[in-house]
Amino acid sequence: MSEGWLALIQQALSLLFSLDPDVWSIVSVSFSVSLAALAITLIPSMILGFVLAFARFPGRWFATNLVQTTQSIPTVVIGLLVYLMLTRMGPLGDLKWLFTQKGMILGQMMICAPVLIAMSQAAFTSVDKRAWETSRTLGASWLRSVWLVCRELKVPLLMAIVAAFSRILTEVGCSMMVGGNIAGVTRNIPTAIALETSKGDFAQAIALGLVLLILALVLNFTLGTLRGRAEPRSL
Amino acid sequence: MVKIIANNIEMRFGSRLLYRFDRLSLAQHQTIHLQGDNGSGKTTLMKMLAGLQAPSLGEIHTEGFAPTPWWRRNPLLGKAVYLHQHPYLFDGSVAYNLNYVQPLCDMTEQEIASRTQTAIEMAQLGGLLNQRAASLSGGERQRLAIARAWIMRPHLLMLDEPTSNMDKLSQQLVLTMVSHLKQQGTGMLISSHQSCLLTGLCEQTWQIQNQAIQVSPSSLDERPFTPSQQELRYVTAN
Repeated sequence: MSEGWLALIQQALSLLFSLDPDVWSIVSVSFSVSLAALAITLIPSMILGFVLAFARFPGRWFATNLVQTTQSIPTVVIGLLVYLMLTRMGPLGDLKWLFTQKGMILGQMMICAPVLIAMSQAAFTSVDKRAWETSRTLGASWLRSVWLVCRELKVPLLMAIVAAFSRILTEVGCSMMVGGNIAGVTRNIPTAIALETSKGDFAQAIALGLVLLILALVLNFTLGTLRGRAEPRSL
Repeated sequence: MVKIIANNIEMRFGSRLLYRFDRLSLAQHQTIHLQGDNGSGKTTLMKMLAGLQAPSLGEIHTEGFAPTPWWRRNPLLGKAVYLHQHPYLFDGSVAYNLNYVQPLCDMTEQEIASRTQTAIEMAQLGGLLNQRAASLSGGERQRLAIARAWIMRPHLLMLDEPTSNMDKLSQQLVLTMVSHLKQQGTGMLISSHQSCLLTGLCEQTWQIQNQAIQVSPSSLDERPFTPSQQELRYVTAN
């Protein structure tokens, strides 16, 4: 590794560990926006995933495929859609959410929800029917049985949450378009990395990249530990 | 005395008729052996009586149970405990599985604690309490599932091929638990291809044959069971 690279990494680490206010403000915007989007979307999406897995109604096939499709829409396209909705002439223009964290949260909710719905639907579909039947026949209420099924599926459901959170925390297109990358207000980790790289300030870009990398490692190793403990279910 | 009564039942899978019958009832203090070939519909019949599956035609109702709360859509669920042929154990330890039913029991805390302890002893699960349920052998799984149901002292219990793939010790332990339940007045429907230790406890047979269910003997007094018929004792290992 060349000395230039080493110097860059040293600078990045010193930015992180010296608690540089610019870097940590960006990290804070990123986490507050993405956690808010995830928190708002989580329960309704899981309920929709449950309904799509178990309920039989006309249009279920269409709804399932629609959700699958929205998962693969590029984030810039979702950004464009949210931008058009929030712009002064758009249907939600009166809210004045464009270039605000609220607008970013709305955009990230639209990215996060399809991932959560599709992955939770897949998880609920995979549940062993006997879990539900056993709980119900033992006299547990509907709600307690739903909770039991969720507990039985904790690993795939946590995987859905981690996947959705990773997707919104790292997406750049929607945040850039709807948030506008305003320093201290809507500048989050991905938009800051894009900006600093274009300016040639690689140290800050690397510092922010390291935050994402550490987060990814922590989340995935935690999940891996849970998955490792889960044993295959025999008959 | 509690009872589940099925009237004018027809069960179909698509266009295939599984069986049709006018009336069957399972009451407390009855122990019935359910026989039939593979695919004849033994499991379906048990699930139907337990409220887990609806019949294609006909109605099933209960007598003698406490009124069902208005928010319970299916009044049959929870009235009779159905145990799968391959019992489902919840993710967690053996103790977690036993404790799961505690809030569902209609008993005092002391009674639940005492029954749980007795169930652990009868099923010889004492050394396995902290072990993950997923790591148990087939016989241990079945013992745990029956012990879990035993704690609840169900009015009615349906055992689907309970002793298949079990060694002699597990069969003896299951027999002890089932005999205790019989002594306590639990009505039981036990499905089994062949005669086994458990079917020896049965006073009546339901045979699924030619898309009908034959009952023999055709009537059974629903009199309280007298416990002297069966010698009950704990079976110790070795």
